[in-house]
Amino acid sequence: MSTILDLHTHSEASEDSRAPVEAYLNWIKLRHAERPLDGIVLTEHRQFNRDADYRHLEDKYGQMVLRASEVETNYGHMLVFGVNEDIVRRFDFANVRLDAQTLINEVARMGGIVVPCHPGRPNIGLYEHYQSKPPLENVVAVEALNGGSRKGEDERSAELIRKFGYAATGGSDSHLVSLIGLCATRFETDIKTIDDLVRELKAGAYQPADFRQRRKPVPQAVEVETR
Amino acid sequence: MVDFDPAIINKTFETTEPVEVNADWIQHYCEVVGETNPLYVDEEAAKKGPFGGVIAPPSYAVTFRNGRHFFEHVPRFGRRGFDAGKDVEFVAPIRPGDKITLSSAVKEIYEKTGRSGSMVFVVIRSTLKNQKGEVVAHIDHRFMNRP
Repeated sequence: MSTILDLHTHSEASEDSRAPVEAYLNWIKLRHAERPLDGIVLTEHRQFNRDADYRHLEDKYGQMVLRASEVETNYGHMLVFGVNEDIVRRFDFANVRLDAQTLINEVARMGGIVVPCHPGRPNIGLYEHYQSKPPLENVVAVEALNGGSRKGEDERSAELIRKFGYAATGGSDSHLVSLIGLCATRFETDIKTIDDLVRELKAGAYQPADFRQRRKPVPQAVEVETR
Repeated sequence: MVDFDPAIINKTFETTEPVEVNADWIQHYCEVVGETNPLYVDEEAAKKGPFGGVIAPPSYAVTFRNGRHFFEHVPRFGRRGFDAGKDVEFVAPIRPGDKITLSSAVKEIYEKTGRSGSMVFVVIRSTLKNQKGEVVAHIDHRFMNRP
């Protein structure tokens, strides 16, 4: 038994995405051989889309659609899984300067888990903040693979994971339909609910999965004699 | 958090004079963008279509200009910024003879952080109405400021 989830996605509920959830699910259905996902987690920017109901789409496409959030802190961007009423009342998700340590501790106390995302990214990733500030406590996992990473960003994330022994997740960070599922997380157990996901993220039995296609190497030029 | 007077949100700051749409303008627009759909360019075919006559292509909505003082009312945060794009919601067809007005208001102001640093976004919503007061489109203009 295992479950593969894209833990970092943005639908049109995020101001910088135009991707409808149904289009994501349809794309996964069409590309399932390349990106064998069991579901996605919507992590909308600076908000928790609590009233959204995707059960009819889950039934139609046979994919799980879970909801979480991506928030902004003084240590960069972080995914919050297991968002509940207590967490929403405690934190203003629109605040782009949330205190990361308080967020991590309080979300854990209220039953959720915080996973710093794209830690190798300049300005909004953990790696850069660790150069000038003390490391955060109680971090269980960070996002090792991000579908939107530029050259060197995933490498910096890997360095951080080696140094601090964090568990590692993957997510596409897709804002466009065709990018869904490029990176994901492979869990060793069955996950059916957000509570299952939070439990497994805390337990640490998972690996990042990379479904990005590698570019074929450019063939060597053949020298041709010309007159 | 970004500092602004919340009273400005959703308060209309400008309404333009009506602009009358004519069939020639629609025709010219279609020529420029390469639009050949008979619903927009062929009066006889359009009469048999679902709208009973020629209508403007949906994207025609973006040709209506805001007023001369539009940018004076866009709040600025910091010294640098740029147009970060437009979202257009098409609500009803625009027809020859329609007189279109634009009303603009600040829809939303929010802050975010990215690879390049902090950004403050100002979203101005322009609502397009015809002479009957019917909304034909909404245009959200998104401006990015670098605080």
